[in-house]
Amino acid sequence: MISVIPRTLAPKVKLDLNNLSPEQVALEIKNLNLYYGDKQALQNISMSIPKGQVTAFIGPSGCGKSTLLRCINRMNDLVDICKVEGEINLHGENIYGKHVDVAALRRQVGMVFQRPNPFPKTIYENVVYGLRIMGENNRRVLNEAAEKSLRSAALWNEVKDRLHDSALGLSGGQQQRLVIARAIAIQPEVLLLDEPTSALDPISTLTIEELINDLKKQFTVVIVTHNMQQAARVSDQTAFMYMGELIEYSDTNTLFTTPAKKKTEDYITGRYG
Amino acid sequence: MAIALKSTGPRQLKNTLAKWLITLGGISVLFTLVLIFLYLLYVIQPIFESAKIEPAGQFEISTVAPTLATGVDELKEIAFQINQEGQINFYQLVKSPAHEKGTLVLSENLLSGDATLVDVITSGVENKLLLDSEGNVQLIAAKFFSNFDSGSREIIPSIAYPLGEGFIDVDEHGGVFSKLSFGMDEEKAVFVAFTQDKRLIKTSLIAEDDFTYDSAHEANYQEIDFPVDHVNEILVTLDMALAFVRSDDQIFVYDLTDEDTVELKATIIPSLEQSSTKPHHVTSMALLSGSSSILIGSSAGKVTQWFEVATDNGRQFKNIRSFDVSETEAVAQIYTEQFRKSFYTLTPSGEMGVFYTTSEADLWRGQLITGKTSAFAISPRADGLVIVEGNLLKVFNVENEHPEVTWSALWEEVWYEGYPEAKFIWQSTSGSDDFEGKFSLVPISFGTMKAAMYAMMFAVPIALSAAIYTAYFMTPGMRRKVKPTIELMEALPTVILGFLAGLWLAPIIENYLPAIAMLLVLLPLSVLLTAFAWHQLPNKMKSRIPETWAPIILVPVLLIAGGSAFFLSPFFETLFFGGDVRQFITNDLDIDFDQRNSLVVGLAMGFAVIPTIFSMAEDAIFSVPKHLTSGSLALGATQWQTLVKVVLLTASPGIFSAVMMGLGRAVGETMIVLMATGNTPILDWSIFQGMRTLAANIAVEMPESEVGSSHYRILFLAAFVLFVFTFIFNTFAELIRQRLREKYSSL
Repeated sequence: MISVIPRTLAPKVKLDLNNLSPEQVALEIKNLNLYYGDKQALQNISMSIPKGQVTAFIGPSGCGKSTLLRCINRMNDLVDICKVEGEINLHGENIYGKHVDVAALRRQVGMVFQRPNPFPKTIYENVVYGLRIMGENNRRVLNEAAEKSLRSAALWNEVKDRLHDSALGLSGGQQQRLVIARAIAIQPEVLLLDEPTSALDPISTLTIEELINDLKKQFTVVIVTHNMQQAARVSDQTAFMYMGELIEYSDTNTLFTTPAKKKTEDYITGRYG
Repeated sequence: MAIALKSTGPRQLKNTLAKWLITLGGISVLFTLVLIFLYLLYVIQPIFESAKIEPAGQFEISTVAPTLATGVDELKEIAFQINQEGQINFYQLVKSPAHEKGTLVLSENLLSGDATLVDVITSGVENKLLLDSEGNVQLIAAKFFSNFDSGSREIIPSIAYPLGEGFIDVDEHGGVFSKLSFGMDEEKAVFVAFTQDKRLIKTSLIAEDDFTYDSAHEANYQEIDFPVDHVNEILVTLDMALAFVRSDDQIFVYDLTDEDTVELKATIIPSLEQSSTKPHHVTSMALLSGSSSILIGSSAGKVTQWFEVATDNGRQFKNIRSFDVSETEAVAQIYTEQFRKSFYTLTPSGEMGVFYTTSEADLWRGQLITGKTSAFAISPRADGLVIVEGNLLKVFNVENEHPEVTWSALWEEVWYEGYPEAKFIWQSTSGSDDFEGKFSLVPISFGTMKAAMYAMMFAVPIALSAAIYTAYFMTPGMRRKVKPTIELMEALPTVILGFLAGLWLAPIIENYLPAIAMLLVLLPLSVLLTAFAWHQLPNKMKSRIPETWAPIILVPVLLIAGGSAFFLSPFFETLFFGGDVRQFITNDLDIDFDQRNSLVVGLAMGFAVIPTIFSMAEDAIFSVPKHLTSGSLALGATQWQTLVKVVLLTASPGIFSAVMMGLGRAVGETMIVLMATGNTPILDWSIFQGMRTLAANIAVEMPESEVGSSHYRILFLAAFVLFVFTFIFNTFAELIRQRLREKYSSL
């Protein structure tokens, strides 16, 4: 069981989430409503995500946590019937503003998906993909970035001798770390993780969780998980969502030990979900 | 309670039955394929066999006098020999109701008085010219009739005198001939002779009516200017156009077509290999069937073929090819077949060789006789030989059905009679009787490739762009409508496409050629301009049209672009091409222009191939996992970058096999190329020229080929080549697809 694995993660920093100074804020979500056709999937969400910390979104299936995450790098744009109202501010600029280049936004807000999705290319080409599409072709720059990202993703030692083999030959956990390496190679500010371990075995999950703890030194991490223990282990802040609404948002310890809302308590004690 | 692990009763039976039925079905499909393959091979196989000659019997000749000439009827049932005493004897070769095998059926004395025969000269199938010791000339023909009175077939021989029973006045001065040759048809007979008083003369007998019914004729005598004082051999072509007069190693060629004068047309001096020990000479000469080639045998054991070739200095006789008959002996005699370009050679020791000129085939070598022959004849159907040796008449069966087909004749350049050089030619039939089929598979294989290539040039860009757009950019609702619509195009019978292409599209393209050229530029340009304009449009106006339907605005744009191209076409034509593009292309650019050309085929067949490629490529692109595209987009890649770097890469095995399937279809396609290519078997990449493909060639010529003939078998060979082509394409495509698939398998 995951819960018996000893905690090796860094102690959590307590912040006042309602009164963050502008320097502490990585993302500010303001009155966000999202509709799939006629159906409203997110209802008036407002929250601030602090810089350099791990924020977890939890909640039962279909509560809108993944939808909210996808709003942050506008992956929802790919869904035709999806309509977004409200603001998400990155550096005080609304990412849903008129002249926002979505591709540029996504370079600053990276994302890792539930299923490992390496491209059918070599390990090396996977890692430098983001740099290549930005027009970087200098071998030296690419090599450095590849090594650095793979080291950050704790994968370097395993793959350094077979960088030019197909990425599809890696195990699921390695693939997921490769995908993380790929995401951080372009040095985003925010890293969105959409249930990054749900397709992995416990050992790989642990490795990824440790990795997340390291990543927050460089990036702001937002993670969606339906595994409450995982949220408790890796995150500094936790947001509980239910039926498209943000029910409760506070530091992780508070949320899991003394939830303010009845719904939250019901969920974390396993009454539903 | 015990659990029944054994399945029971009807369920088991059904299962077994289904298993057997499916196995049977699968095996019978494979079996049928193998059978088709084997049948093709079975039909093709005889054309690559070499000749066989087997003895069919021998008969003793009752008379003692040496034989001068021999011959046999078409069915090889009765042979004859003419001996020095002027007797012609017909022998039964096979048992018939009336006669036993070997019976002397008919014997007649052709001469009167004490004269003996000096020479018998043959021309054509049956005409024999007799030259006797008193210098008289007489023409006889050994004729054979079939008689069915006794209930079964009986061949009755008879002797006819086409130019009358009397002697022919070949020389108005009554000279005695040392050499004589002739040629004749129903209306005319031409003799060329060398007299003992060293005159070379030409005598034409012109029939008053027709020699077949009436021997009455007028004679016309001419003397030919001849530079040398002796003659070894004279040959007159069957069509009476040329005479070849050999004097030692020189051959003088005279043109006989002019009624009034006979002109020296050329002198052939064969270059003979000279060995240090003995000089080589010309030893024999023969006319090849078809009256245009002459074969010259030498003491060096070589036979060379010569015919007239158009050169810069007019028509000249050229040495086309040579055959090594013998290492040690001279070529004593050359005998040629009546209707084919085969020839037989004999050396002084009786060594025989069988060759075919155009295919350069060395068909048979061996020794049928031990010494010198006194007479040799090839049966009219070229399926037998009659050789008289001493007082034995020997008959042989010859199995030599397809001497004209060899690997080199099919796939290499062949120098045909009358052509200025060796070429790849497919021309299987013609109006003329002595026509030689030209069966090079190169032009039609090339045509197949050319048609497929032009079709792919048109189809691949369109089909792949459409597939990419439909699979990657189109909304699911729109895609559900568009995809089946395009796939429905595949159900369109190709005969309709071919028909429209040949009768409707080809004339339009011919008349509006500048418009077609303009369309190539205008259509993509207008699409890009519209896209740019759309991009610049304020959002307010954009939102009025639902995004799904935005491409609809391209329709009027394309219509206007297309319409204006056609509208402007005549003006362009007048302005730049002097009013007629066709003439401009033909005269000024010096490019041949066919109405049914590669452009038409490219469009029509491309149209037929598009659905195949589209459907498979679209499936491949659509089935690229969404998480891969999301992954790329999430890394800040644009849609376009994602498409190029991830989607197309991942879909590449599918796209590749789509293109290969399209190519396979284009190669095997028949109706469109049959109707829209003009079926000209030429070797030319030009877009303004047509082509003939393997498939269309089979369709066009199957009805007119005689079962079992070389042509028939070569059509099967064409089918086999087509089969191999598609087999290679599909295997190649499948191999590559498997490899790519393996590479991307764990997605």
